[in-house]
Amino acid sequence: MNNRIIIFLTSLLLPFFVKAQEAAGVEMADAFRSEGKIYVVITVISIIFICLIGYLVYIDMKLRKLENKNRNTN
Amino acid sequence: MIKWWKILAALLILYTLVWGMLGPVPQLNILHETIRNLFYHVPIWFAMLFQMGYSVIFAIKQLSKNDLQSDIISNQAAQTGLFFALPGLLTGCMWAKFTWGTWWTFQDPKLNGVAIAVLIYLAYFILRSSIDDEQKRARIAAVYNVFAFVMMFVFIMILPRLTDSLHPGNGGNPAFGKYDLDSNMRLVFYPAVIGWVLLSLWILDVKKRLAILTHKENEQ
Amino acid sequence: MQNNQLVNLINKEFVLEFRQKSTLAGILVYIVATVFISALSFKKIIHPTVWNALFWTIFMFISVNVSSKSFMQETKGKGLYNYLYYNPRTFILSKIMYNMMLMAVLSILTFFFYSWFVGSMVQDMGMFLLALVFSSSAFSGILSLMSAIASKANNNISLMAILSFPVLMPLLLVSVKLSKHAIDGLAWSVSYKYLLILIMLNFVVVALATLLFNYLWKE
Repeated sequence: MNNRIIIFLTSLLLPFFVKAQEAAGVEMADAFRSEGKIYVVITVISIIFICLIGYLVYIDMKLRKLENKNRNTN
Repeated sequence: MIKWWKILAALLILYTLVWGMLGPVPQLNILHETIRNLFYHVPIWFAMLFQMGYSVIFAIKQLSKNDLQSDIISNQAAQTGLFFALPGLLTGCMWAKFTWGTWWTFQDPKLNGVAIAVLIYLAYFILRSSIDDEQKRARIAAVYNVFAFVMMFVFIMILPRLTDSLHPGNGGNPAFGKYDLDSNMRLVFYPAVIGWVLLSLWILDVKKRLAILTHKENEQ
Repeated sequence: MQNNQLVNLINKEFVLEFRQKSTLAGILVYIVATVFISALSFKKIIHPTVWNALFWTIFMFISVNVSSKSFMQETKGKGLYNYLYYNPRTFILSKIMYNMMLMAVLSILTFFFYSWFVGSMVQDMGMFLLALVFSSSAFSGILSLMSAIASKANNNISLMAILSFPVLMPLLLVSVKLSKHAIDGLAWSVSYKYLLILIMLNFVVVALATLLFNYLWKE
């Protein structure tokens, strides 16, 4: 839940840099994103994802322990 | 320790998260940068379809072998598939709002197909909860699973035909399906699909093991 | 031998139906009542799409109602007798065929009452009737299997409705499309593929139902 708030707040920062945009062809985010703001986004979503995977691994380990205990007592 | 394919799933998705945002994409009108959504929104649907297919296969197995293990797997796969439908729907609505201007439309056949699929599987869970006897529940739920999946599949096959007459040409609008993938995007898209399908299998694996453990405990 | 059994079973269904005229009369009253209420609420239906949508909604509810009665009548004793005596495939085929005939008749009756009360907007009557007949047979096929499932799960009628509606929706969509073409009076070449899809759905539904019923049977 906290992570979502963080990414939401970060994404709110990005529109402030739209003023630097030029109308060259189809407007893409390249002009202002590549200045380094994009890396913030990437870091944020990677952190979120790694935390989720970490949680999944934790559950996986716990289950394995339970299964082994079950197998030993049977 | 952890199986190789689980690690592969995590690595693939991490790769698509990073490169999907950084990599070059074709510059299309209407979509602008949101075309990157392709790497995240579409693989979730692939994962859901995969899970539903998995569920049906085990439903058929349950009917032919009559062992409760297949039924547990079939049930958990249906749950996982429905679980993936939720972010799929939410991300789809977000994407639609910004590109089509509306959260939902009844004209798009894909959205209809998705809505029907969700309703079918909700009915499947209601059916499961209304029968108490394990063997009976397994069998009857499997029958409904097979029937409903075939009907859904037939419908999804009909959709392309219907779209021929409903939507003659969709311009560059990607959510309507077949359009030419830029070769750069393929580099991220295919790994994304594989990664998310593997992740859904990981979630299924964990759920299945938990269900089997709880089942064994209840028996004792 | 099997064909004989099939004919016997279908005959039995007809006899039962006419013996208990109450069910048939009940359905007729249901049809007339629903159509009447709709006619009262929509004082005048101008747009063909509305006409179409209303007709198929009424049709859907009627078909669910009718089919729910077919399996709910089976008591435990009858169930045992059926199991021992009849081949499951024959049994479900007889139920499906009987339901199909019943639904075809009822659908035409519904259309008759509907056009009487609300007015008919159909320009291509032939195509419309074709659509009606094939849709009603596919509906009855699906609903027969659904009511068989629901009857095994404590005979709950609302459960049957919940199970049937999502599965019926693709069929409904195709039927609505086809009948809309008929109402607008489009050439048959346009509607051809929908008709084919409808017929194919019929085959798929009946094949699936007969295959799957074996597994429901063992109770």
